[in-house]
Amino acid sequence: MGRVKTIARRTFLIGSAAILGGVAFGVYYVSRPTDNPLLDGLAEGEAALTPFVKITPEGITLIVPRADVGQGIASTQAMLIAEELDIDPATATLDPGQPHQAYFNGTVAADGLSFPGWDEGFVAETVRDLMMNVARLSGSQFTGGSSSTADLHETLRQAGATARETLKAAAAARTGVARADPRTEDGQVVLPDGTRIPYTELATEAAAIEPVGVVALRPASEWTRLAKPYRRLDILAKSTGTQDYGIDVALRGMLHATVRANPGRGGDMAGYSADAALAVHGVRSVVEVNEGLAVIAENTWFAFQAAAALEVDWLLPDYPASSAEMWQVLDDAHVDDMRNSRLRDEGDVEAALEGATVVESEYRAPFLAHAALEPLNATVLVEDDKVTIWTATQVPHVVRDAAAEVTGIDAANVILHALPAGGSFGRRLDHDYVVQAIQIAASMPGTPIKTTWSREEDMTHDFPRPLHMARGRGAVADGRVLACDLDSISPSLAASWFGRVFIVPPGPDAMLVWGAFDQPYAIPNYRVTGYAAPPLMPVGSWRSPGACSNSFFHESFLSELIHTAGADPLEERLRLIDHADSRRVLEAVGEMSNWAGTDIGPGRGRGIAFAYTHGVPVAEVIDVTLTDRGIRIDEVWIAADCGTVFDPVNAEAQLTGAAIFGLGHAMNCELTYENYAVQQTNFHAFEGMRLHQTPQFHTRLLGLAERVRGLGEPATAPAAPALADAIFAATGQRPREMPFSKSVDFA
Amino acid sequence: MRYAARLSLIVLVNLVPGNPALAQSEHGLDLSSLPEAGAVSSDEGLAAWECIHTVLTHPRCLNCHVGADNVPLWGSIDDPDRVHGMAINAGDSRIGDDTMSCHACHQSSTRPNTIPHAAPHAGMDWRLAPIEFQWTDRTSAEICAQMRDPDRNGGRDAAGLVEHILHDAELTGFITWSFGPGAGRDPAPGSLQTHLEDMAAWTAAGMPCPEQ
Amino acid sequence: MDLKINGTSHTVDLPGDMPLLWALRDGLKFTSVKYGCGIAQCGACTVHIGGEAVRSCQVPLADVWGEITTIEGLGTRDALHVIQAAWIDQQVAQCGYCQSGQIMQAADLLARNPEPTDDDIDAAMSGNLCRCGTYPRIRAAVHAAARAMRGA
Repeated sequence: MGRVKTIARRTFLIGSAAILGGVAFGVYYVSRPTDNPLLDGLAEGEAALTPFVKITPEGITLIVPRADVGQGIASTQAMLIAEELDIDPATATLDPGQPHQAYFNGTVAADGLSFPGWDEGFVAETVRDLMMNVARLSGSQFTGGSSSTADLHETLRQAGATARETLKAAAAARTGVARADPRTEDGQVVLPDGTRIPYTELATEAAAIEPVGVVALRPASEWTRLAKPYRRLDILAKSTGTQDYGIDVALRGMLHATVRANPGRGGDMAGYSADAALAVHGVRSVVEVNEGLAVIAENTWFAFQAAAALEVDWLLPDYPASSAEMWQVLDDAHVDDMRNSRLRDEGDVEAALEGATVVESEYRAPFLAHAALEPLNATVLVEDDKVTIWTATQVPHVVRDAAAEVTGIDAANVILHALPAGGSFGRRLDHDYVVQAIQIAASMPGTPIKTTWSREEDMTHDFPRPLHMARGRGAVADGRVLACDLDSISPSLAASWFGRVFIVPPGPDAMLVWGAFDQPYAIPNYRVTGYAAPPLMPVGSWRSPGACSNSFFHESFLSELIHTAGADPLEERLRLIDHADSRRVLEAVGEMSNWAGTDIGPGRGRGIAFAYTHGVPVAEVIDVTLTDRGIRIDEVWIAADCGTVFDPVNAEAQLTGAAIFGLGHAMNCELTYENYAVQQTNFHAFEGMRLHQTPQFHTRLLGLAERVRGLGEPATAPAAPALADAIFAATGQRPREMPFSKSVDFA
Repeated sequence: MRYAARLSLIVLVNLVPGNPALAQSEHGLDLSSLPEAGAVSSDEGLAAWECIHTVLTHPRCLNCHVGADNVPLWGSIDDPDRVHGMAINAGDSRIGDDTMSCHACHQSSTRPNTIPHAAPHAGMDWRLAPIEFQWTDRTSAEICAQMRDPDRNGGRDAAGLVEHILHDAELTGFITWSFGPGAGRDPAPGSLQTHLEDMAAWTAAGMPCPEQ
Repeated sequence: MDLKINGTSHTVDLPGDMPLLWALRDGLKFTSVKYGCGIAQCGACTVHIGGEAVRSCQVPLADVWGEITTIEGLGTRDALHVIQAAWIDQQVAQCGYCQSGQIMQAADLLARNPEPTDDDIDAAMSGNLCRCGTYPRIRAAVHAAARAMRGA
């Protein structure tokens, strides 16, 4: 039976419980103690208390519930626990655990609001607290929105500290020393006489005593692991080919499957013939699944061959046939009737524009695929009363519930082995591929089946970044930006995605204008309006959703206004920004790049952009050179502030990786539609950035912001506008549509 | 070193075909109606050259008949100047030895090219054509002059140029591949048979060249 | 069909036109060899055949012309190859999915060019796609491995 204590500050609940042969420690944050799930229905020997630390005589397990999709969060979570627990996390087993309400992500829910992240006023904070509770009650265990570190850093350290103090108490009880006397080191309790007792030997006793509740977290000055360069815990596996991903699952008797879905996403099937597919060597069966058909075979290659041989009479989907028609849908949506939000409205834009020389521009951002390098896959075994799933997902609770729904088996009997992902960029916030894999496995109970999408299926059946356009109107006066009016037009991402994984939240879609309405500029006449176009095909969150397009629109237009005003783009941004953390990153990037304007010599150009996304201000400066083969990006400077940096080596990788993601797609990538189908079927037509286009990077994390935030996404958004600005400086032509390869060549 | 074995094999095979006129049908090609030398007028020869030129300047051929920068193309009819992705440079060896081997992706295989957009393969080692065979940025007259100059066409006389096509057919080489490049790629115009007939006609006419 | 992989002989009973990639992954469970695109666009499936880096998705099983080396044959967790050690020191991997292929391509490069410049690295390694954007550290790791291999 577990025990629970309430921490005075902010109602943390801490619990421990006996598990088979050991002890488990958990920390749970709720608004009301009566909601404590650690006690509800917990029977003797049950380990359903959702712990973060499990200790048995065999070893220590750290529960790291946020999905590692490459951003290194498994290591960060483990390191946060280990700092307080005093263990070398490399000696522990990391386990993502089973989906559970206790692992809810409140931060990502609180961020999805109509308040800018820098607004710390009473109303914004109150509503954020409310959303935290909505997330808790719905058990939303999302990994996304660069929220993991922000959401869990206190909880995980508290879990480690609680476990450490309870183990010390157990050692004191065993040996009779005063409870204050033992210290801990490297997975052992050290008694005053130097006797060392491994945690693993204290597990059973620790489970039997009252857990130590109120533990002050160690100040940063005492950290021995956090905020210092350390090695990612998966780096050895990932450098030796021994990291197992979902696609590598190998089970006895396992069969292999693949899916062939309607090229027009969401379109139905009038009929099909499986004869040719079934004649392919090694094929076992053809089954109907969501969106199309699947082939089960003895080898993935046989399944691919057979899927190609399926003869299907596809019905058309309900969206327009071509990209040109889809752009028209957005164009038509730029009318008052389609207005969805006006979350920024300061001064009097119309009055300011009246009689002024109005600067007007239109910008466009294409559909984009996530195209994680590991094609989507899931392995599923359906048995009489149990479903077992091996896959990588950012929404484990959604996967669990879907498995129960598809098979009719109780969700409590769904076992999810959440595996590291070979990339995601937001794609694994959807679970369509897992549902298909469950349907496939349910057709052959007792046989584990691994379903792997071909790259072509992955590219053409993404939930892409939505098509997005914006129109700006603005005016300048006396060398300053006087007015900025930005209209942002796109199908609602929130309506599409939330509709698939939860419920569509009421009210305006803030994501549609993320990266535009929430920028900390104090422009005297300033307005941002969102227009929700009718849905086209289902769309999804793509690294820095909303902002990955809006920041390009907003910062590009701001740059145009600043250029018209004849002001310096860095100086004018500093003058306009009304937020200390944001001003500091701009000052830092100016200092790092020896900023002296955008003219850096003939045939070259320098650009700058700033974005405040996911609670992190980021400023980027980019230098380009015109070569005989096209534009080359030479150097990129990035300054950001995410507050305390727990994991500096990985933080730097996230800054550069996110910027490369933003740059590569802005330069080279789009998904276009013809005859209802995606035209870019593989990487030959969707290159992203490759090594030869990769510039030199210089990064700085200021570490001065008060709140801890995450870095998986924030450096993505300002990359495209900074590059566009540099291209303008070098060529006099401002790219207003992504990908920029439509208007310029890149070396 | 790793190409030596395959290259010597090709040389050996090269000795075998002998006089193409001896055979009436080889590798699916009909040789029965190829004209004798002198049996084709200059005008007819020029017309044949136009057909040849259309083939030679199709992206399927131009992509590997590039200039001294040694950079292959990914040209298509819609976008003929697109440079090969991945910063590929075949180097002075024209086969990638000093950078990254063409063979890392392009296999040497007579199997059909079945996977759309995969790295194409043919029955000989993938490589750029020799630098003398640059056809990009060249006029019809320039390409024609190169084609009939043994110093710049691989030492081939009229018969050698015809035999070159037969030899390619035997190996399922690049010329043969260009007319059947597989899924997702535009084939060169016409067929290997018409290309052979055009080459035979042009050479039989004395290899006349246009003025431009 | 007999294949020699990392010094050991293996027999597979699979069609000759199956890409080596799938024979290795699904047939012989060499899952370090990754499927990313199937058309030689990403390099995740790079192995060595006869000492040469090739995309295993493009090699029909029946056409394999020499001994195959996968990353396990380069070095293991307990006996790292110097390139793997450099990859670890530079903390290159993010999601890590492309890195077996990156390392095998780097091994080919360094075998032919023990002192590559940035341009040399770009020329040899731009066929290996990394969606996470680990490229700056890939460059650094290749240089570090080159220094280590030269004993500098």
